[in-house]
Amino acid sequence: MAARAEVRPSAEFRFQVKQRGGSSVGRCYQCATCSSVCELAPAEAPFPRRQMLWAQWGLADRVAGDPGVWLCHQCNDCSVRCPRDARPGDVVQVLRSMAVEHLAFPRFLGRLVGRAGSTWPILLAVPLLFWIGVLLAVNGFAIPSVEPGLSFVQGQFYYDALVPHWLIYAVFFPIAGWVTLAAVVSGSRLWRLMGEGATRRGSFLANVIPAMRDIGTHKRFGDCGEASGRRWGHFWTLWGFVGAAVTSGLLVVYLYGFHMYPLSLVHWVKWLGNISAVILVVGGVMLVTNRLRGELRVGSTGAFDRFFLGVVAAVITTGVLTEVARFVLPPIVASGLYVMHLSVVMTLFVTFPYSKFAHLIYRTLAMVHQRMVDDAPQQ
Amino acid sequence: MSENKPLPLLVIGAGIAGITAALEAAEAGAEVVLVEKEHWVGGRVLRSHHYFPKMCPPTCGMEINIRRLERNPRVRVMTATEVTAAERTAGGWSVTLSSAPAWVNQHCTCCGDCTKACETEVEDSFNLGMKKVPAIRLAHVNAWPKRYVFDRKAVGDAEATKIAGACTYGAIDLDAEATTQTLEVGSAVVATGWRPYPLEKLSELGGGVIPDVIANVQLERLVAPSGPTEGKILRPSNGEAPKKVAFVQCAGSRDVNHLPYCSGVCCLASMKQAIYVHEQLPDAEVTVYYIDRRTPGRNEDMLLRVAELEGVTLMKGKVGRIEQANGTLSLRVEDVESGKLLDAEADLVVLATGMVPNAAELDMELLSRKDDDGFVLEDLSSQVAVAGVARRPEDVASSVRDATGAAARALSAAGRRA
Amino acid sequence: MEKLGLFLCSGCGIGDALDFDAIEEVASENGAKTTVTHECLCAAEGVEALCSAVAEESLDGVLIGACSDRAKVEVFNTLDVGDAGVFRINLREQTVWSHEAGDEDTQMLAEDLVRMGLARLDKMKTLTPLEETIDDTVLVVGGGRAGLEAARVAAGLGHPVVLVEQDGELGGFMRGLTSIFPEEPPYDAPQPNPIAELVAEVEGDDRIRVLTSTTITKITGQPGQLKVTTASGGSEESFTAGAIVQATGATAYDPAKLGHLGFGASPDVITSHQLEAMLRSGSLACPSNGRTPNRVVFIQCAGSRDEEHLRYCSSECCAMTLRQVAELRSAHSEVEAVVVYRDMRTPGQMEHFYLGVQESSGVLMTRGEIDKVDANGKLTVHLKESLLGEAASLDADLVVLATGMVPHSADGEAIRSLIDARDRAENSESSQQRKEAAELAEKLAPHDGTEILNLGYRQGPDLPVLSYGFPDSHFICFPYETRRTGIYAAGALHAPMDMAQAAEDGCGAAMKAVQCIEAAKRGEAVHPRAGDKGYPDFFLQRCTQCKRCTEECPFGTLNEDAKGTPEFNPMRCRRCGICMGACPERIISFHDYSVGQVAAMIKAMEVPEDYEEKPRIVALMCENDAVPALDAAAALGKKWNPWVRVIPIRCLGSTNIIWIAEALSRGIDGVILIGCKYGDDYQCHYVRGSELAHTRLGNVGETLQRLALEPERIKTVELSHDEFDRIPQILDEFASELDELGPNPLKGF
Repeated sequence: MAARAEVRPSAEFRFQVKQRGGSSVGRCYQCATCSSVCELAPAEAPFPRRQMLWAQWGLADRVAGDPGVWLCHQCNDCSVRCPRDARPGDVVQVLRSMAVEHLAFPRFLGRLVGRAGSTWPILLAVPLLFWIGVLLAVNGFAIPSVEPGLSFVQGQFYYDALVPHWLIYAVFFPIAGWVTLAAVVSGSRLWRLMGEGATRRGSFLANVIPAMRDIGTHKRFGDCGEASGRRWGHFWTLWGFVGAAVTSGLLVVYLYGFHMYPLSLVHWVKWLGNISAVILVVGGVMLVTNRLRGELRVGSTGAFDRFFLGVVAAVITTGVLTEVARFVLPPIVASGLYVMHLSVVMTLFVTFPYSKFAHLIYRTLAMVHQRMVDDAPQQ
Repeated sequence: MSENKPLPLLVIGAGIAGITAALEAAEAGAEVVLVEKEHWVGGRVLRSHHYFPKMCPPTCGMEINIRRLERNPRVRVMTATEVTAAERTAGGWSVTLSSAPAWVNQHCTCCGDCTKACETEVEDSFNLGMKKVPAIRLAHVNAWPKRYVFDRKAVGDAEATKIAGACTYGAIDLDAEATTQTLEVGSAVVATGWRPYPLEKLSELGGGVIPDVIANVQLERLVAPSGPTEGKILRPSNGEAPKKVAFVQCAGSRDVNHLPYCSGVCCLASMKQAIYVHEQLPDAEVTVYYIDRRTPGRNEDMLLRVAELEGVTLMKGKVGRIEQANGTLSLRVEDVESGKLLDAEADLVVLATGMVPNAAELDMELLSRKDDDGFVLEDLSSQVAVAGVARRPEDVASSVRDATGAAARALSAAGRRA
Repeated sequence: MEKLGLFLCSGCGIGDALDFDAIEEVASENGAKTTVTHECLCAAEGVEALCSAVAEESLDGVLIGACSDRAKVEVFNTLDVGDAGVFRINLREQTVWSHEAGDEDTQMLAEDLVRMGLARLDKMKTLTPLEETIDDTVLVVGGGRAGLEAARVAAGLGHPVVLVEQDGELGGFMRGLTSIFPEEPPYDAPQPNPIAELVAEVEGDDRIRVLTSTTITKITGQPGQLKVTTASGGSEESFTAGAIVQATGATAYDPAKLGHLGFGASPDVITSHQLEAMLRSGSLACPSNGRTPNRVVFIQCAGSRDEEHLRYCSSECCAMTLRQVAELRSAHSEVEAVVVYRDMRTPGQMEHFYLGVQESSGVLMTRGEIDKVDANGKLTVHLKESLLGEAASLDADLVVLATGMVPHSADGEAIRSLIDARDRAENSESSQQRKEAAELAEKLAPHDGTEILNLGYRQGPDLPVLSYGFPDSHFICFPYETRRTGIYAAGALHAPMDMAQAAEDGCGAAMKAVQCIEAAKRGEAVHPRAGDKGYPDFFLQRCTQCKRCTEECPFGTLNEDAKGTPEFNPMRCRRCGICMGACPERIISFHDYSVGQVAAMIKAMEVPEDYEEKPRIVALMCENDAVPALDAAAALGKKWNPWVRVIPIRCLGSTNIIWIAEALSRGIDGVILIGCKYGDDYQCHYVRGSELAHTRLGNVGETLQRLALEPERIKTVELSHDEFDRIPQILDEFASELDELGPNPLKGF
């Protein structure tokens, strides 16, 4: 610890922490109970005591490059045991949102999503208006009409009359590309910052697989004391998303690869999609009921989280409803739902690297980093 | 003395604060009634081995205080007695005093014949239940009043009769009954003292679960020659001398989940105890885990002294969890200075449990003003002064200081002319 | 006393273990007019038998042979026997409980105790009680919070008060405070400063006479009769007072010595007291440019807890800073406050205040060790260590040093030795002595002119101080036992303490002052022998002006006239008998305790000539620690050597060398003195008693060798009250040591 840090405490940062729901940080007197009750904290760089201190001092850069905030699974064992009721769990959650903003590429989008508390109308409205505009331009928002002669299992009509498939892909492929780029840039920012002052050993690839395995099984969630209940909710939600993603991929393959469209309801890809949807619903419900277990034990919910959870919920519900609507609802209503679904999916996509969703990347990177640090010889 | 026979001063509780308040008032010429719920006076201090920072025995000062009590015609001491009610009167208070049955009366000479006739053993409350003693005995070797105590309920009638028969001085009265009386007093000093925060409430630290996790008050008994081990520091689990002793500070204090206030004395108490361990077991490793080292005033010398001791470490970091691991104990703690998480080993853990005011549970008009933590607030307008830990967590010297002042305030509030 | 009676109790196993007929014989041989035996002397019948016998035989000396004189006190201290002297010998705990029943040695022990008791009684005198005219007035020196509370309480107890304050107005340190830290629930925010009302109340109280801009030029006499002279402006005035509360407070540590913290280097480094003035006047501004600071950094322990400066913790700085932060933030919410502390010390309910201030946003409180404060252009505070785990620096517009407190006391003993040294530097014979004295005087020069009370006491003009200049008591259980009877320190002068504690302390000191006056009226001693009506009597015709008594008295009781003859002040006296032990002429005696009485006890012992079976040991034991420890050992069934004859004494310091000489010349084989621990953490309630005894005996060493006696025959042991487990083996070891030495050669001469 030879280097002298020119510490510039930032009142602004502290203000932000409070704004985003970390006002309890001021109560902390650095006893370190939190670190010692945390099941996930690595011995060499335990959290969240130090993160609380950074938040008090307002050291944005340290938070941004800290694997700890990502390794934290918000079990809230710390918040429950904290003798000062300083709620480290909440504070670290706030720090995560600030880290996401700090790492974001480009920064302005990070700030836009980071302050979702006030910016959420824009984030939802823009995609919606985009779709309405595009559809008006393409086919004057042609509501599909009920096609006689279709059996019930085939549904009343097909959505492609309103939104041709090429249009979906024309919109979403570029977005996907852009999002990937943004994620890679900000991800590598984190990777670089984490690397500073830490010794890693082994290759990224060699460590990413086992890290993925842990994530896949949600092993670390299992270590959580207070919030172990959250494990399965989070687990199913994750796999639901994976399933949905795979389904969408396969649809493209069938459409352009085998010119098969529409697929019958009993086609296995449809099954996969529907099962994923069910899993998503189940996971979502589990997460929500878990949240009802009292704030201290599950942590409070900031605007940043509310936005993300809201969008996810919207994607799931509009998705399910859209599918059902094709069989039972008048086309006009169904079309409305479909467009809404497309626009929330778009919001979810576009905000992916800047919203809570980003923890998918950052936590993965942090876990890989931690594996490589653990392997490195300690001086 | 300008007034004609003023009403006496009531002092509730005969711990060091109560005894002091009573004596200082009486030696200034006031009539005093000193009420104590135990059978003997001295309270918590007599359960301590030594005082910090001087490392001197509390019985030494108590010897003098008892001589002052015995020889002062103006103090009336009522042990085994509690104030059960108090009503405001024009002149002060009318209090109801309830005394436990006097199974053993003033004829007792402490000859010990009754103990010889007694088979039943009971928990030794003086030694915090760490030892068994005969159902009839002298509460402890320096107990005053010098009179045996009899746990009548613990023995059957046949044995009781045998015990009573063994006494040649007619000091044991099996027909004794509880008595109550009312007393007019001019003013009162509340000195109801404290009790340790229950170990059982600290189960995450092994309190009440792991035998080798003990409270600071228990260690005081372990090192005292009058204690269960005759002064030897031994692990309760196996009766062996510990090699690694850990002191966990703020065990229940400064904690919104337990006691939100600082108990004020635990830092110094643990440093004192670190010295006990160091002197008795020079090879033992001692670690004190603290949040802040609170040794105000000249007690800073104590901190410097302990920091010098070979084999004694002071570490900033609150212990979060204590678990049993193959014969020893493992303490989870972050060494805040190095920023590393440790699983420290110890074979005896002393939890620096805090002080809970006894008054928190007492409910009567006389104690109507209390803060949220149960400490009593002075109310001189109704002639009630408060002394010692009944008022705030503090050490012995401070308790004695404000007990002296409380006596003065109580007397002057009653318009008493000393 | 002439007509003595022995009253034996056969209860508690005494009767079964001893041959009472033989004892009765011994008693009558040794001047007992009568011997009465009862099977339970402490019972009503026993007491009745005793009292009627005393009446019938018109006895004037009562020897009670029963339990320890620490047992059944309520019975035997209230005997209706008129002026008759009462003495108790310990036939229970220290005889039959701790030695073989029916054994010859046990019997001899009992008989010796009877002989010794009768000899003691024979020499006792009847008491002529003190009757002095006592002044009720309490003099309070210092008008800060402690002094004001003291004045108010003393007046409330019906005593006239004179309050002397050197400043122009009352209130002291607190006068300058915007607010005080919370003393009432919920304890989370500052409270209004109560000092104005307190001052008004005191000034409005017709029982309290306030003398501002006044200093004390002289105090002579003794408690109850203190002649006080004060000076105000040009004029002097005199009055008498009964007792004194000294509450002269503390002053802030000189910030000029805190250069390493930037003081002096920049006008923007100020003390907490300077900040308080700003907050009070509502003008928070950097002295350098008059602008409102953006960030204020508070540095705790500025000068406190520091080997180079004040070793102790000043106790109130943490709460003071918390309060200033709260005040600062409520007045200027835009200003950022940073507090750098080493340990946040907010004991008790003050923890609520700590949390309360922490919660107010914009306050950063962090642990750190200050390296230095740079003041080149802008202020930078450098931390050696911080919780960040590394050195750190932070900018500041204003740095506030929480400076500690220094007691406003005067070291009476130092001043006295300064005076003596100067005298020796003038008048000593040898030039060497003059030189050494001059050097000492040089060293002590800073004490020159620091007097506050100006006591006309032989041992110095002010209270003796404990460590760091605080005239505190050394006793945890007796915090007001300053070493000058009737003078009690209170508040920040007494010990480092916060304002709430100072208020308490003022009340306590007032209580002690009042108590001292009341005791004087009753002709009684104060602590630790409270209620004792006896006092030492000086037979000055035989005084050789050796000055040992005046020098050795721990309580400054004795003055000297020009020739060096002691002048006794009974109301300053604590009745320890240290003077009695010091006097080579043995002219100092109490009616019930004297050199002669104890010597007679030693003379009365039977010393068998055939050593082989019967060596003899005299054990002089402190009645407050060693004797109780021995009783406890006996109660726990411990046994010890039966050749030991225990003589309880008030204090080892009252041991007169003649006792040792007497014992050895009678052929007694050894003398052991067991008393309190001494040294820095002394436990002697007369401060230096056991230490003095030790030094005195050290000097006897050579004398013994001249008499061809081994110095090992005399031993002093330090013992605590709770070491009952040790004391039997101490006695047995000494016995075996003597056994190795062989018999006292003077046996039988």
